[in-house]
Amino acid sequence: MDASGTRFFKLLEVLVRHEVEFVIVGGVAALLEGAPILTLDLDVVYRRTEDNIRRLLSALEEIHARYRDPAGRLIFPDTIRLRTNRFNLLVTDLGALDLLSDLGEGLAFEDLPERTRSYDVAGVRVRALDLKTLIEVKERVNRDKDRAALPVLRRTLEMKKSEPNGST
Amino acid sequence: MEPHLSEAGEDVVELDIAPDGVDLGQIRWMLSLTPTERLELLQDWVDGILALRNGRVRD
Repeated sequence: MDASGTRFFKLLEVLVRHEVEFVIVGGVAALLEGAPILTLDLDVVYRRTEDNIRRLLSALEEIHARYRDPAGRLIFPDTIRLRTNRFNLLVTDLGALDLLSDLGEGLAFEDLPERTRSYDVAGVRVRALDLKTLIEVKERVNRDKDRAALPVLRRTLEMKKSEPNGST
Repeated sequence: MEPHLSEAGEDVVELDIAPDGVDLGQIRWMLSLTPTERLELLQDWVDGILALRNGRVRD
């Protein structure tokens, strides 16, 4: 399947092309791991260094990213917000993009690499959080929405572990 | 909504998320689309994610 024309893929391609350091988390990561859930935004945790923030801002400018502001104001991401905000909920020309500084204590970008899986399509290589860690994060956050997603995530993990070749 | 102050103190961006975790901004966005646009968005997203999934690299 040629995904290069999809907005989702183009969104990833922009981030990769600008050499942004990030890990895919949330619903997309769960879907990549095989969980049958629905998501319509891309959640990522980004490395919060000055260089990476600069690269991230370049990517965001290319896709005209702005905050999803309930008051309807046009507010654009900037260095200060990306450095200090824990959550940056954005809309872009290519869809909704949520930028997170971390997933909770001990789960910043630097803590994640060993908890991720790699994906490579048409030269676009990204890492996404594994299912086990996704479940841990949702258990920690423990909001209604997160608890609602846990049964299907847990069952998916169980079934992946019980696959004949033990593949997860 | 969870208030969120920027260091600059200007243009405070409210997080449009309900206490139960539901992203209200996303709902508003979806409601602003026509049914056809919603389906096209979903199809686009699913096509892209499934293609990426097929590109799993065994580390």
